[in-house]
Amino acid sequence: MNSNVWLLTFADAISIATTLILASLGAMITERSGVINLGVEGYLLMGAVTAFVIGDSTGQLWLALGSAIIVGAAMALVHATLTVTLRANQIVSGLAMVIFGTGLSQFIGKPIEGKSRPVIIEKIDFGVLSDLPIIGPVIFGHDPITYATWLLALVISLYLHRTRPGLILRATGDAPATVDAQGVSVKRIRYVHTVAGGALMGLGGGWYMFARAAAWNQSATTNGIGWIALALVVFASWRPLRAIAGAVLFGFCLQVPFTLQGQQINILPSEIVSMFPYLMTLAVLVGLSTPRARRLLGAPKMLGQPFVRDER
Amino acid sequence: MIIGGTRIRLEARLTSPRWLVVVVPVFSVLFALVVGGVFLLFTGHPPIRTYRDLLDNGYTSFYGLTDTLGLATPLICTGLAAAFAFRMNLYNIGQEGQLYLGMVGGAWAGIALAPHLNQFIAVPVVLVAGALFGAFWVLVPALLRARMGTSEIVSTLLLNYVALNLINYFIYGSRGFFRDPTTPFPQGRLIDESARFDSFGTTNTYPTLIISILLAVFLFWFVRRSNYGYETSVFADSPQAARYAGMNSIWLTTSVLLISGALAGLGGAMYVVGPAGKVDPGLLQTGLGYAGIVVAALARYNFVAVIITAVLFAGLRVGGSALQASSDPVPIAIAVVLQGAVLLFALGGEIFRRNRVVVTRVVQTAKVEA
Repeated sequence: MNSNVWLLTFADAISIATTLILASLGAMITERSGVINLGVEGYLLMGAVTAFVIGDSTGQLWLALGSAIIVGAAMALVHATLTVTLRANQIVSGLAMVIFGTGLSQFIGKPIEGKSRPVIIEKIDFGVLSDLPIIGPVIFGHDPITYATWLLALVISLYLHRTRPGLILRATGDAPATVDAQGVSVKRIRYVHTVAGGALMGLGGGWYMFARAAAWNQSATTNGIGWIALALVVFASWRPLRAIAGAVLFGFCLQVPFTLQGQQINILPSEIVSMFPYLMTLAVLVGLSTPRARRLLGAPKMLGQPFVRDER
Repeated sequence: MIIGGTRIRLEARLTSPRWLVVVVPVFSVLFALVVGGVFLLFTGHPPIRTYRDLLDNGYTSFYGLTDTLGLATPLICTGLAAAFAFRMNLYNIGQEGQLYLGMVGGAWAGIALAPHLNQFIAVPVVLVAGALFGAFWVLVPALLRARMGTSEIVSTLLLNYVALNLINYFIYGSRGFFRDPTTPFPQGRLIDESARFDSFGTTNTYPTLIISILLAVFLFWFVRRSNYGYETSVFADSPQAARYAGMNSIWLTTSVLLISGALAGLGGAMYVVGPAGKVDPGLLQTGLGYAGIVVAALARYNFVAVIITAVLFAGLRVGGSALQASSDPVPIAIAVVLQGAVLLFALGGEIFRRNRVVVTRVVQTAKVEA
């Protein structure tokens, strides 16, 4: 085996990281406002199936991705209504969305099972740059959405830490009563960021369909990537730029089984190798649970707590 | 909120009337059927006829009902597993994986131990082995949660994917212990006859249904009447109060999660003792673990109500399979869509249980005519 294979695996990891980054950015801004959205897996699936169906019937890539965004936002709107207005249990509501999204995507996806992708996202041609050794495939070998995602992480990072609305958003997750006392509507902030987060998850699903998945697969289109994205939020300690690094690491773990398979390396059975990304995610979560790591993480303090003004 | 001269506002209730406990789930189901109907309509399946077929195939025909009761048997177990943990705010969502491990544990005992055992204890041994394997699968998340506060939600869920790959490895990836050695076709090795129950007559209902129901009733009694059950209730309401009263939160958290895992594992073992008789990848297609969460939430974590919601949801699944096989095939995923929708509506409906809707007329001051 040559080093080139691992280089390509790494380039693939950077590519697959796009979905992880989009989904975890979505979960991150949602959680920063104090709302947990566990439904990521359901949003990704719905985004993927929507993008496929719209792309299949219109042939328009951007329309397909736009529909995925709208579907993600609509699902998040339901989640926000249930948890913010009706004060339902956020965890159960998120799980309900996973179940609903899984079921509905499979229902809609039944007729398109095994069909090949109607459109694909083309990689940007950087000419000479793409042919450079190492950095060619790693940095200059991706599609526009991947680059836009990196930029988006930067923008969200600046928004969170350098702007006034970002400050209010962080305050809403840490001390909603204070935000309320400032005369800012906690509900509105939670609604806006939950819906925006859902939109990003939907886009993540749509992108995954066109850039990574070979075809719609009833049982294994996203294969738990949504849950890995949730772990990634903790790993990135709710900071957008760290999500990029984390996503590449997690993406590498997701990609290794395919590389080993492609190279006909059978040290371990493929089923065992496929467990690797999930076990690695679990190990990372454990590592982050030590008291020292916990202090450094800085999770939103009122995460998962409904805000009711009367009780103050 | 003010709409057209009337003000609608929510007022917290001190006690919620008993009838709402029934009305909210019933309306959740009705609304979910409407949502499902919209999707059916869009995909060209007449909703009324589809639902009538669903009802026929899942509930009202003899074999439909007995198939439903058969499928409800392990579903009651995963529902109890979710209810037991969720009522203590411990979100074990790994029932799917624990169920698979229960199947593995049950099959292991059925192959390795049952031939040496008396017929009367072979089945109990298989069931206990399944429960132990299920508990084992939640051991690491439970200890992490209790000792270090690691979120059990993501950790239990991630292990579902590990368990899924493990089952695939046992059946497709290896020629090991659990695989039938007599055929090149990948399938599980049958357990000893002595460790299997016969079904009732020609139906697909097995005596394990009675065990599931008794277990639900026992748990209902247990959490209300036992010291341990009382401690879990206190801990659920206020962990601080529980600690102040000297209760051991590490022990409570660990034990509740282990019992939850054991209940789900028991469901997997019942699948072995009953219809499967082996490690059967067919279980992976049923989604009984995730459905357990819905069943528990709809029952509002009431163990006896879990029996009813489990039968309801098993019927959706059974009726759904029949629809998929019919001349106008409706994807079975419609059953999962309905499950998710029921849960979403039930969650939204909670507000009516906790609050009273007060509608008052607002006397608007008339505008002075110019």
